[in-house]
Amino acid sequence: MNLAGTEAREEFAAAWRYLSNPAFHDELIAANGNVRPQWHPLVDSLLEIGPEGLARRWQEGRRLVHENGITYNVYGDPQSTDRPWPLDPIPLVIGAGEWRTIEAAMRQRATLLNAILTDLYGPQHLLREGLLPPELVFRHTGFLRPCAGLSVPKGINLHIYAADLARSPDGQWWVIADRTQAPSGAGYALENRLVASRVLPDVFARAHVRGMASFFQTYRDTLRGIVPEHRENPRIVLLTPGPYNETYFEHAFLARYLGYTLVEGGDLTVRENRVYLKTLGGLLPVDLIVRRQDDSFCDPLELRGDSMLGVPGLVEAVRAGHVAVANALGTGLIESAAPAAFLPILCRHILGEDLKIPTIATWWCGQPRPFEFVASHLDNVVIKPTFPGRNDHPIFGARLSVKERAQLLERMRASPADFVAQEQVSLSTVPVWDDGRLEPRHFVLRIYVVAAGDSYAVMPGGLTRVTTSLDSLVVSMQRGGGSKDTWVIGDGPTPEFSLLQAPAVPLEVSRATFDLPSRVADNLFWLGRNVERIEVAVRVTRAILSRLYSESDPASAAGRDAGVRILAALGYLSTDLPAAADRTARLQAELLGMIYDSATPTSLGSNLHQVRHLAWLLRDRISADAWRILNHFDQQFSNPAPPEPLRVSGALNLLDNAIMTLSAFSGLVMESMTRGHGWRFLDIGRRLERADQMVELIRHGLGLVPTDESGRLEALLEIADSFLTYRSRYLTSMQPDLVLDLLLLDEANPRSAAFQLARLREHIEHMPESRSSIHRPAEWRLAVELLTEVQLAEVAELARLDPSGRLSNLDKLLMRLAGELRRLSEAITRSYFSHALASRQLHAR
Amino acid sequence: MALRVNHTTTYTYSEPVSICHTEVCLKPRTSAAQTLLEHELVIVPAPEVSIARQDYFGNTVTYFSSQEPHLKLTITAHSVVEVHTSDPLQPRLTPKWEQVSEEVRHYDRAETFDALQFVFESPRVRTAREFADYARPSFPAGRPLLEGALDLCGRIYKEFKYDQRATTVSTPVDEVLRIRHGVCQDFAHLMIACLRSIGLPARYVSGYLRSGRNSVGSEASHAWASVFCSGFGWLDLDPTNNLMPAANHVTAAWGRDYSDVSPVKGVALGGGEQAIKVGVDVAPVPVQY
Repeated sequence: MNLAGTEAREEFAAAWRYLSNPAFHDELIAANGNVRPQWHPLVDSLLEIGPEGLARRWQEGRRLVHENGITYNVYGDPQSTDRPWPLDPIPLVIGAGEWRTIEAAMRQRATLLNAILTDLYGPQHLLREGLLPPELVFRHTGFLRPCAGLSVPKGINLHIYAADLARSPDGQWWVIADRTQAPSGAGYALENRLVASRVLPDVFARAHVRGMASFFQTYRDTLRGIVPEHRENPRIVLLTPGPYNETYFEHAFLARYLGYTLVEGGDLTVRENRVYLKTLGGLLPVDLIVRRQDDSFCDPLELRGDSMLGVPGLVEAVRAGHVAVANALGTGLIESAAPAAFLPILCRHILGEDLKIPTIATWWCGQPRPFEFVASHLDNVVIKPTFPGRNDHPIFGARLSVKERAQLLERMRASPADFVAQEQVSLSTVPVWDDGRLEPRHFVLRIYVVAAGDSYAVMPGGLTRVTTSLDSLVVSMQRGGGSKDTWVIGDGPTPEFSLLQAPAVPLEVSRATFDLPSRVADNLFWLGRNVERIEVAVRVTRAILSRLYSESDPASAAGRDAGVRILAALGYLSTDLPAAADRTARLQAELLGMIYDSATPTSLGSNLHQVRHLAWLLRDRISADAWRILNHFDQQFSNPAPPEPLRVSGALNLLDNAIMTLSAFSGLVMESMTRGHGWRFLDIGRRLERADQMVELIRHGLGLVPTDESGRLEALLEIADSFLTYRSRYLTSMQPDLVLDLLLLDEANPRSAAFQLARLREHIEHMPESRSSIHRPAEWRLAVELLTEVQLAEVAELARLDPSGRLSNLDKLLMRLAGELRRLSEAITRSYFSHALASRQLHAR
Repeated sequence: MALRVNHTTTYTYSEPVSICHTEVCLKPRTSAAQTLLEHELVIVPAPEVSIARQDYFGNTVTYFSSQEPHLKLTITAHSVVEVHTSDPLQPRLTPKWEQVSEEVRHYDRAETFDALQFVFESPRVRTAREFADYARPSFPAGRPLLEGALDLCGRIYKEFKYDQRATTVSTPVDEVLRIRHGVCQDFAHLMIACLRSIGLPARYVSGYLRSGRNSVGSEASHAWASVFCSGFGWLDLDPTNNLMPAANHVTAAWGRDYSDVSPVKGVALGGGEQAIKVGVDVAPVPVQY
C-alpha cells in the first residue's frame, strides 16, 4: 500500500477519523496531510486491523497490564497503592535519522552534566569563574556538603540520566527537564514494550523496531564496573524508599529484571564502615547500592537527620571506599530547572561545542535582567521554584487572574532568586486511542541514558507520556496522564532480544536463598497466615450457605449452626444470631454482606485485599503467575452482587471458585519457590494458621456439650476438607472420637492439627537460630512441646465426657494448644522479625 | 595564655543500645586567634571504628561507631588551647557595611568567594524581611561594618532574655525573634539571620567560654556569630555576653549554622528512654614551653 497516495490517506482518515490540530506539530501527519514515512508500517497495519480489530487486541493488552500488575502510586490517595498503569496501544514512532540527532544530543548532555557535578563537588571552578551563579549551589538543599570530595569510582556521578524532550510547532526538539537524581520510568518503558509488542506483534517485527535489552545490559555492565570490592562476585542491591513510593512497582520490576536484591533502608546496616544486608542467615556484605531514593535521605547521620529511610553511617562507608552508590550521592543538585539557564555557556566552556538539542528558554530570576524580562512576559512563561521542597507546582502565567498575577509578582520581587521561568511551548501531538477512535494529545518523551565506558549509551526508545486532553498543559502521571511505548526505527532488521527472559548475564542463583531480608521473611510469614485464614473463612461460609434453608432437616441445621458459631468466633459474623423468626433471613443478609460488601473490614473482599497488598509488597519474591491468580481473584470479589434470585447460588459459585483459586495460588507459590528460608517462612505462616484454625474449628464446631452429633460432625469434616477421608476410612456413621482423631491427632491427614505441628517442628529445626546455637531458642522448644502434646494425646480420653457431661479433657487440650501456638508465633517474631527496632537521633548542645 | 577545656557528653539508656553511629565536632581549630596544643578524645565503651576527617568548612569531625551493646555512652574531649591576644580593632576604621556586601556579591577574590556561601539562608537560619527590619536601625547608610555589628550585638544582648527553658535545640530562629528569649545558640542564629538578611556574610561559631563572674554560657558548650569584613577577615561577636571574643573564648568549629557543627550527633539502635548530660569545664593553665 502506498500511503503517500491520496487514496490510502483518505482511507486511513475515513477509517480512523484522526484529525490532527494544525496549531501543533503532529507526529503522525505532516503539514501537507501525508503520513510521515516512519509511521508507514504501523499505519499499514492499522488499516489492515481496523478500529474493531485494534479494540479487540487492546483488550488483550489491558489484560496484560492488569495481570502483570503494572501499577503506579498516586500520592495522597490511600486507595491507590495499586492504580493500573495507564498505557495507550499506539506507540510513538521515531525515524532512524531523527534518532541519531537525539542520541548524540543526549550523550552530549549526560557528559556535560556529569562534568558539572564533578566540578561542583570538587574545585568549583565554574562558580569561581562566574559561569554558574554560586547561589544556585550554595542555597540548594541538594548540595550535600558531606559528599564534597567523596571518591566517585571512574569519575562517574551519573550512571543513569534521563531528559524530558518536547517538540515545538516548528519541529525542533527541546529539552524541558533533566532527571539526575534517580530517574524513574525506564522500567515502565520496558513494560510498555512488553505489552505493546504483544498487541501489535506483526508490525513490530516488520517495522525494524530497535530492542531495549542491550541498554539494560550496558547499565548492568557499568554498575558492575564500579563495584569497589568483591569484584568477581559482588552483591548489588536496589534501594527503594518502600511500597508507598509512586514508582515502587518499577523498583520491584527492575530489581528482578536486573537480578539485584530489592531492599529498603532498614534492611541495611553499617558495621565497621561496611554496608551489610540484614538477612535471616546473618549480615551479608553489600558492594553497590543502586538507589531509587533521594540522596539526602540516604544517611540520617550525615545527610538529612529526619530521614527514616536511610542507612546511618552510609556516607562514611562510601568515603572509606567500601561501597559504591549509583547514582552518586549529591547528583540531585542539578535536577532543578535553574541550572539549565546556564547550560549553553557551560557546554561551550566545558565541551567546546554548542548544545546539540537546546534547553527550552529558561530565565533564573535571581539576576536583574532576566527578572525584568520575565516580569514583563508573564503570559508566555511557566514559573517554577528554583529550589526543591517548596511549592513544586508550575504556574502558567497566561492562566493567572489579574489578582493572582499581582500576588505572584509581589512574591517574585520579594525573593526573585527563588523563581525560574521557562518559555511555554506548544507541545507536539501524537494519536491516542480513545474509545474507538484516534485523538491527538500532547506528549513529552523521556529518554534514558546510561554510562558506558568513557561515554554514554542511549536507550533506543523511551517513556512517552501524554496529557489527559488537548487543553492540558501538564504531562504528569501523578495527575492522571497516560503513557505509550516508543518505537525507534532501526536502519535494518534488529537482532531479537527476548525481554521476557532473564538478562543474558547469568544470575547468581546460589545466593538467592540467603539474601532474604528479615523484613521480607516477615511479610512471607503473614502472607502464609492470611491466605490460610481466608481459606478457612471461605470454607465455613460455604458450609453454612449450602445449609441455609434446612429448617426441616435437623442434622443439616445442626451443621449450619456449628458453622455460624465458628464464623462468629473467628470474628466474621457480628453475633451468634438469636433464635428469632427471621433468623434465616438475617443470617443470609449477613453472609451475603460478608461476601459482596468489600467495604466492611470483616468481609472476604477486604481480607482478600489485604492478602493482595502483602503479595504486592512481595512483588519481587512471588512469581508473576501466582500474582496473576491473585489479581484475578481480587477482581472476582470486586464485582457487584447478582440480582436477588441468583444471590445465594452466585455466592456459592464464587466461594467454590475462591477455594480453587486459593489452592492454585498456594500450589503455585509453593511449587515455584526454592526451598529456602523464604519458602519456609511462608509455610510456617500457613501451618501455624491452619493448626490454629483447626483448634478453633473443633472448639466451636464440636462444642463442649455434644448434641445432634452427626450433622455437626459432617459439617466439621466438610469444612476441614476431610469428609472423603473419613468416609473411605470408616464406612460408618459419624462418631466424635473418630472425627477428633482424624482432625486433631492423625499426622497422615494433611488437614489435621498434628500434621501442621509436625511440619512446623521440621521447619523450625531448619531455621538459622535453631541450627546455630547450642541453647535451643524458644520457638524450637514450643514446636517440640506442641507436637509432643498431640502425639501423646489419647483420643478415647479426649472424647470422654466428664461427670457434668462435658468434653472437658478435650477443651483443656485445645486451650493449651491455642496458647502455645500464640506463643510460638510471638517467639518467631522476636527471633526473626525484630528488625523493626527503632533507631533514634542523638543530639547534644 | 592557655585554656584547658574538658567537654563530657553522657548518654544513659533504659535499654541497651545495640549499635550507634556518632559524629562529633569537638576538636578546637587552630587559627590566627588560637593554637591547639593538646587534644584527646576518649569514648567509653571504646568504639570499633573511629575516623577523623576535615569537613567542608575545615573543621575536624570524628565519626565513630560502637557495636557493643551499651547502657551508657560517654564522650570526653580534653583540649588545651593557647589563645592569642591582639590589639582591639577600631570599629570606625572598618569599611562601610554596604561596601562589604557589594564586594561579596561580586566575589572576585578567593576571600570574598569563600565568604559568599555564608550570605545565603541555611538549614537553621532563614533570611527574611523581619530580620532585615530588626537589623536596620544598627545599619544606617554608610556606617562602618563593625560599628553596626557591635550595635546589633548590643541590642540583642539588651532586648533578649537569656532563658534556658524558653527554647530547645530545635527552636526556629523566627520564634526566637518573636519570644525574645533564648540561649547562646538562639542569639547566634538570630544575629546571623539579621546580618544575612541585609546581605552580609555571617557564620556560626561553636566553642567554649571561660567561666567568669559575668559571663553567661560557660556551663555548656558556647556559640556566637562571626561576620565577614573585607580587609579584616572574620570578626567574632558574642551577643550572649555583648562582646567581641578575645582571651576567654575558645573556637571549636564554624559553619553556616548549628546544623553544620553540632558538637555531638548520632543515630542509635534501641536504647528505650534516654537521658543526656553535658558537662563543660574551662580553666586557665600555665603554658609550658
